Amino acid sequence: MDHRSRVFASIFPVPSLSHTTPTPIATPTATPDLGYTAPGQSFGSPFNSNASGQQRAVRRNLAWSTATRFLSLPKQATGANASFDTLRPPMSAEIGEALHYLLVGEGKSEGKTEESLVDWYISEVRLHFANLVQPTLKELWKKEFELQHAWDALDETKRVLQQVQMLYLQPFNDHILPILYQDNSSSSTIRPRRPTLMVDAHGADDVSWGFRRDIHAIFAHCLPPQRFSKTLSYVLYDSGCKLFQIFVRHDGVQASVERENIRRRMTDLLQDLERVGLGGDNAQKAFAHAMDKLMDSYISSQYLRVDWFTKKSVVPHLRMWIKDAFCPFVELVMECLRCNPSDVQPTELQQWQEMALGRLGRERVDHLFFFVIHWDKSSGAILDIREYLKLAGAKQYLTSNFSQQISRRLLHPGTTTTYILNVYIFIIRAFHELEPKGVLLERVARPIRRYLKDREDTGRIIISSLLTDLDDENGSKFASGGELSYEIASEMAKPFANFSHDADEELNWGDMSWQPLPTDASPEYKKSKVEDVIWFLLTLWEREDFINELRNILGDHLLRCQDPEYQKEIRLLELIKVRLGDDKLQACEVMLRDVLDSKRINASIRASGAKLQTPDQTPLPQTPERVPRTPQLRRPTTSTPSLFPPSTPTSNPPDGPTLNAQILSSFFWPLLRDDQFLVPAQIQTLQKEYESRFERIKGMRKLRWMNALGDGTVTLEFDDRTEEFDKLTPWQVSVVYAFQPQPGEEQPGLIGRGKAKVVSTTRNVAQLEEMLQMDEQLVRQALAFWAGKSVLRETDQDTYEVIEKVSSSNADSDAAAAAQELAEVQAAAQAGAVRSQTDVLQEKKDVYMSFIFGMLTNQGNLPIPRILMMMRMMVQGGFPFGAEELKDLLKEMESEEKVVCLGGDLYGIRK
Amino acid sequence: MALSTGARSNGGSATVAQRLQKELMDIMTKPTPGVTAFPDDENMTSWTATIEGPDDTPYAKLTFKLSMEFASTYPYAAPTVLFKTPIYHPNVDFSGRICLDILKDKWSAIYNINAVLLSLQSLLGEPNNSSPLNGQAAELWDKDPAEFQRQVLARHKTPEELDAGGI
Repeated sequence: MDHRSRVFASIFPVPSLSHTTPTPIATPTATPDLGYTAPGQSFGSPFNSNASGQQRAVRRNLAWSTATRFLSLPKQATGANASFDTLRPPMSAEIGEALHYLLVGEGKSEGKTEESLVDWYISEVRLHFANLVQPTLKELWKKEFELQHAWDALDETKRVLQQVQMLYLQPFNDHILPILYQDNSSSSTIRPRRPTLMVDAHGADDVSWGFRRDIHAIFAHCLPPQRFSKTLSYVLYDSGCKLFQIFVRHDGVQASVERENIRRRMTDLLQDLERVGLGGDNAQKAFAHAMDKLMDSYISSQYLRVDWFTKKSVVPHLRMWIKDAFCPFVELVMECLRCNPSDVQPTELQQWQEMALGRLGRERVDHLFFFVIHWDKSSGAILDIREYLKLAGAKQYLTSNFSQQISRRLLHPGTTTTYILNVYIFIIRAFHELEPKGVLLERVARPIRRYLKDREDTGRIIISSLLTDLDDENGSKFASGGELSYEIASEMAKPFANFSHDADEELNWGDMSWQPLPTDASPEYKKSKVEDVIWFLLTLWEREDFINELRNILGDHLLRCQDPEYQKEIRLLELIKVRLGDDKLQACEVMLRDVLDSKRINASIRASGAKLQTPDQTPLPQTPERVPRTPQLRRPTTSTPSLFPPSTPTSNPPDGPTLNAQILSSFFWPLLRDDQFLVPAQIQTLQKEYESRFERIKGMRKLRWMNALGDGTVTLEFDDRTEEFDKLTPWQVSVVYAFQPQPGEEQPGLIGRGKAKVVSTTRNVAQLEEMLQMDEQLVRQALAFWAGKSVLRETDQDTYEVIEKVSSSNADSDAAAAAQELAEVQAAAQAGAVRSQTDVLQEKKDVYMSFIFGMLTNQGNLPIPRILMMMRMMVQGGFPFGAEELKDLLKEMESEEKVVCLGGDLYGIRK
Repeated sequence: MALSTGARSNGGSATVAQRLQKELMDIMTKPTPGVTAFPDDENMTSWTATIEGPDDTPYAKLTFKLSMEFASTYPYAAPTVLFKTPIYHPNVDFSGRICLDILKDKWSAIYNINAVLLSLQSLLGEPNNSSPLNGQAAELWDKDPAEFQRQVLARHKTPEELDAGGI
């Protein structure tokens, strides 16, 4: 019988293979000479002659039938605890002899053809199992059962198997083994030195072991292997969970079973399973699965919570758990399963700790973005990741994963630049904690930096945030505007870092803490002073670009700044100088010096004359005309013209207006807005006076007033009220001043002074434009502003009059509200003393066009990149635009029929 | 000694570039009709200029290209100016060399590119026949204006033709 059919038969009982017949099927026909062992002849003697073969066959048959009848197993299901001996015919001498004969005597199977008694018994067991036990177990395992019942199923299986195992083993142990052992011991005592017999001695054990093995194979076969191992795995997992008090159930039911019970139940089950042969490799695999999952569950239930308060890493605790809880549990189970060795090796312990750390770390990394934006509070989690980074492959995982998070959550059009900057700062801080060398930071920050560079407002936000005062504006500015980054401002407030070790550190032989560059650093990696957040922000751009931007913003800021000491600006400049080198910042220094000098000049000019008096009002910066070397810009302060609408304008103004100027060196300042208009006559007088005094002090240097810059304070006196306005733009002052009655005009107000009826001054837009020589746009803006303040009212299309008496009518206040809104919108569009790039482009368009025209005329047809390059090279002051703007220019010239596009980006002169 | 010379010449070329850039800016912001010039590349020392023939001369409606080379001593030395477009003119030879006093001994640092180009433009209408480079042209200018005109047109090539020939 070959092995396959045996296996087959063990599961599917086939009648033709039935071994229950007492007579062996296989008759020793193959042996040519049948003989009998003569009585008294020693059993199994090597000298046994074949002549007795015939006799032996007969005798063997007899013994076989006796033995097998005795050993055969009951054919019906037995009761639970039925003892098999009761069902078996009593042991007799005859049977004993037969067994003896068949097992160790002459009747022992010879060659392949004769079946041995043990083999027969195994077949018998197999058949019995297939017929009687297997269906029950099949039934048990066939149906689905819920996880809670896994324990029961295993228990039941275990019970049944234990029972039948006992049933099978009892006759074997009682009747077969003793004979084999007896034989062993006798032969070994007689001829202990015969090696062949030594083999025999082990034979008994082998047979016993083989028998058990066969039974266990049968058992194992009857269970669906996958389901069994899954169930076992679940049971182990479940007990692990209960032991470690992981509550993974979501129904809120807490397993109240005591740990001790669980432990005992589990060990019992495992030991029993091991005894019925189910504790082998499969069980170990199932156990491995369970532990794998257990580790996951434990980590996710215990360690994923970040400790927001103590800000500590959970890693040490995790390691401790693996060592002091996880390992003992594993050892316990392995002992039950009789693994060899059942001790956990130190290397394994370490592996597990790393495994656990890896899982924890990956979980953490998946939420790294969240931790980063909650940086500081989340430092516990960051510390965890830091531990995790020591593992192999962790850095790559972190980089790729975090980059994904960034591109998904941060770098899209929906986020404001301020937010991105803030997050970037958080990233810098968090990653500095994570990896002080900055290699990772460099990697993950690269896309952010690239993205920030592309945003137009990045530079403006950074610089204006740097200039913002942290203390007083906290609440309002940062929350609402979105244009200022609190984080940058707070970085700015930090004390200066020490940059003195800027020198080449590689050559500093005395540096005892020198370390080589990290091996995973990219070629352009530079050891950066990671802690310096501002350094990162300032290096976003090329130095030149940044400084240009800085110049613009600083210029604007200086003109508006209220702090007479300019402390913040000085500090900022120092800060940037330290980082970018002071050679490039000359222009900024000059600007700063200008405003500081202006104060001094103001003071001395004021001292020299009586009329220019104290109040520090706003200055109008002026570009000096063409003073070739140090051109001095000055800014006149608009004075406070007091305005008495109906009364005579010039008659005794309370103090008379005062003027302060800022003197700017136009060469170093960015292009400033330079709208021309007439300022009130009083101011003009002051300007003249100031000018002459300035020329006296400064050796005949010329001043050019830039009336559009600066601000002013006015007091307006009406019939029924007096109001004071400050921080006005000069054109607003001019416009409202224009509502003073002119000397030439016959003012009914003059006549009616003191009387009840007063006629207000009325002006229309065109009139004002002419009077002030001001752009219509500015006039309208100023009118809207004053209307919004309930100073003027629009009586007719484009015609305004002064509201001398505030009436209670809603119309006025409604109109005022509407006008105010309009004014705000207009003001927003106009903000800034420094001209924007678009303005510059518009203004210089003609020059640029003639450049292009000249270029194309002389050099023939050129492609856009070449034109762009030449423009950048040739235009004095540079061509700060890109291909897009250039293309627009060319399009415009094309529409004017000056140039012609010759296909692609090639342009030529139109003939 | 060598060092200081080197430094000076460096400084010199920087000034030349600055000066030329300023001239370019002037030309571009205040273009003179019929005359224009532009550098060939970033180093600014060689330019291409374009002159339109003055009306009422045989060169009316013709366009001439010139090359200008500036030495590092500019503006103390005159630029080297050559006609690139073939021209039939008493004071220009067949390889484009020009005989004009301000480009030779009468050069002064107060001249600039624009001045040179304007002089050349007026030279087209008023050749200096007393010192001709092209004797035949000088003769024809006085004796046979029609033939002169014919020679001018025969010799002239448009920039496009020049480009095509160059390729």
